[in-house]
Amino acid sequence: MSIILCATRGGEESIHTQDYAIQRAKEGGDSIVFLYIFDLDFLGHVKLNARPDLLTEEIVEMAGFLMLMAVERAEYAGVTASSLIRHGKFAAELAAAARSSGASLVILGRPAEQGHFKESGLVTLARTLSDETGIPFILRPAEQPGH
Amino acid sequence: MKEAIARAKNWYDRWGGVAAVALITALWLLSLPPVLPAARAELNTSNAIVGSVLDAQGQPVSESLVSLWLEEGEAPAATAETSPDGSFILSLPPYFTSPARLEISRHHFTDYAYTLSAEESAVLAGGDSLVLEDFTLARSFGPAFWVATVIFIGMLVVMALERLHNALAALLAVAVIFAITFAGGAITESLFIIDFEHDLAYIDFEVIFLLMGMMIVVGVIEETGIFQWLAYKAYQLSRGKAWLMTLILMLITAVITALLDNVATMLLITPITIQIALAMGVNPLALLFPALMSSNVGGIATLIGTPTNILIGSYAGLGFTDFLRDLTPGVLMMLAGLVIFAMFYFRRDRRAAPGKVSPALLKKLAENARIPDRKKLVKALIVLAFTLMLFIFGEGIHLTPAVSAIIGAVAMLLVVNPDIEEMMRVVDWTTLVFFMALFMVVGAIEEVGLVSTIAVAIRSVVGESTALAGIVLLWSSSILSGVVDNIPFTLAMLPAVGYLNATVPGTANNILFYALAIGVATGGNFTLIASSPNLVVAGIAERAGYRISFVDFIKVGAPVTLITAAIGMAWVLLRFL
Repeated sequence: MSIILCATRGGEESIHTQDYAIQRAKEGGDSIVFLYIFDLDFLGHVKLNARPDLLTEEIVEMAGFLMLMAVERAEYAGVTASSLIRHGKFAAELAAAARSSGASLVILGRPAEQGHFKESGLVTLARTLSDETGIPFILRPAEQPGH
Repeated sequence: MKEAIARAKNWYDRWGGVAAVALITALWLLSLPPVLPAARAELNTSNAIVGSVLDAQGQPVSESLVSLWLEEGEAPAATAETSPDGSFILSLPPYFTSPARLEISRHHFTDYAYTLSAEESAVLAGGDSLVLEDFTLARSFGPAFWVATVIFIGMLVVMALERLHNALAALLAVAVIFAITFAGGAITESLFIIDFEHDLAYIDFEVIFLLMGMMIVVGVIEETGIFQWLAYKAYQLSRGKAWLMTLILMLITAVITALLDNVATMLLITPITIQIALAMGVNPLALLFPALMSSNVGGIATLIGTPTNILIGSYAGLGFTDFLRDLTPGVLMMLAGLVIFAMFYFRRDRRAAPGKVSPALLKKLAENARIPDRKKLVKALIVLAFTLMLFIFGEGIHLTPAVSAIIGAVAMLLVVNPDIEEMMRVVDWTTLVFFMALFMVVGAIEEVGLVSTIAVAIRSVVGESTALAGIVLLWSSSILSGVVDNIPFTLAMLPAVGYLNATVPGTANNILFYALAIGVATGGNFTLIASSPNLVVAGIAERAGYRISFVDFIKVGAPVTLITAAIGMAWVLLRFL
């Protein structure tokens, strides 16, 4: 049984990506690891005191909740799933998670889901990480129907 | 070398906060005015010339040099300096003769000469004192004025474009001001802007200590988990009804932000609210937007609710009870308007998606909202209540808000969390330095006459009309603080509002200061960048997959600002006219 690593957050776009990952896992008899990566770069724009330490804790708890939703959806579809939460720069954490999880395939969401990435940027990122890790990185197809 | 750096870092981690307190205290002591010789001179005003120096707007001009010149004298026979109220007492030398003239000079004003008449000289020669009519100095707008203005505007632009951290932008502005004053001033007097000691006096340490005290109080409360627990309780009370959840959450955030920092409030409430919304099957933005807007409005209700209220309260001498009496009812009206808007605007987003939440998710939600240490929470709440009582009742014994905040902070440290080093790290020293630097920059532009120029311009628009002055101030500050950082904006406006307060009839009730408070706070809902909690909520929501763009925000923020500012204006006019 291989492992599919699915980088995801919450929101409608993420659900499409999760569904795609679940579908692929089901077809291949694989398990899924849902990966949530976050940073606190936006605090650089906050002019008054914000507590990075407390915010990190809160986002980890929020991520735990979001990932539990994803895991439950996968298990409801009959796919074994778990989750991983990482804090840091997106590309670096993604590559590290791909290696440490032993993933045979990494699925990324569409640009809207990834926030500040454009499609060309994501495609380039996927290619670069694929070359770096030797693991295939793909974007969820745009034609993937919603639920 | 690495060891030395590591040792230095350790020292800073351990003692940095204490060192910062010592530095701030030293600066405060330096800024205290010396015992004025005028106080002693008041005891002996015989054979002296007494008068006052004012500017064209009738405001006192302090630190003007008043010199007495006798005929054929090569140096002044006597000098005196005007005190903060503009008055001076010039003691005559024993060899006083007529004719004599007074020369009054001050940086950024045109020199003034007054020749004593024969009758006036005779009075002085007879050994009596002479009280003269007020002298009016005209402003002089030389290179220093333009340089200081460019520096101030440049600082605002740098902050708006986020090219530098706000504190660094303000410190840079201060550094440039002094570089030009000392280097440029050595070449030509016309480049002298302001000297260091004088500029230090513009730092309002009441504000600094009030902010510092409340940061410690909030820092302890933040760690108790009470914000998250309250949001979860709102969810339980609402029994899954999204409209009721919205209403309760709005009330909770309004009340909390009236008493505590709204950045901390939204930082801690947003993640749990997103989870609650997902558990209810509704779009999280349908809960987040109303809570956020409510937090920006709720803070207007009390002295400590927003940093701008703290600035206004300290400048205008308004206490905790003044805000409670004069603004809280208006804030309740604004919140009512906000609730109606939120119920209508987000009615579609509140429709729950079908499906049940699993027991595991509900359990996770409850875990994320738990209070980790109930005893600590109870102690913290008792100390918070004690601090609020000090704010309310301390005014009766002239206890300033800053002292109440420091007492509250110390009580928190003693009763709840004895780890002072950890709490010193919680204090946002960068923000305090930012405020100090900002006070100095605004002091410089006040010194060169930019603030009085703005004040005169506003006065020419509003004339003698109190209502018009309030309306213009409220709406202009609401719109401008939607695009410009409202803290430097408020600081720069305060002296101008002070001038209007002293010269426009019917404003002794502080209507203009309250109009400013409402304007700068309601403007916080206008755009995404208008206030820090907006950015916090947007940042966290994006990390949950719910992106709020600048345009998305304005679609909600603009009508909210319009509604709340209009209600606020109506309240101010109703209450004070």
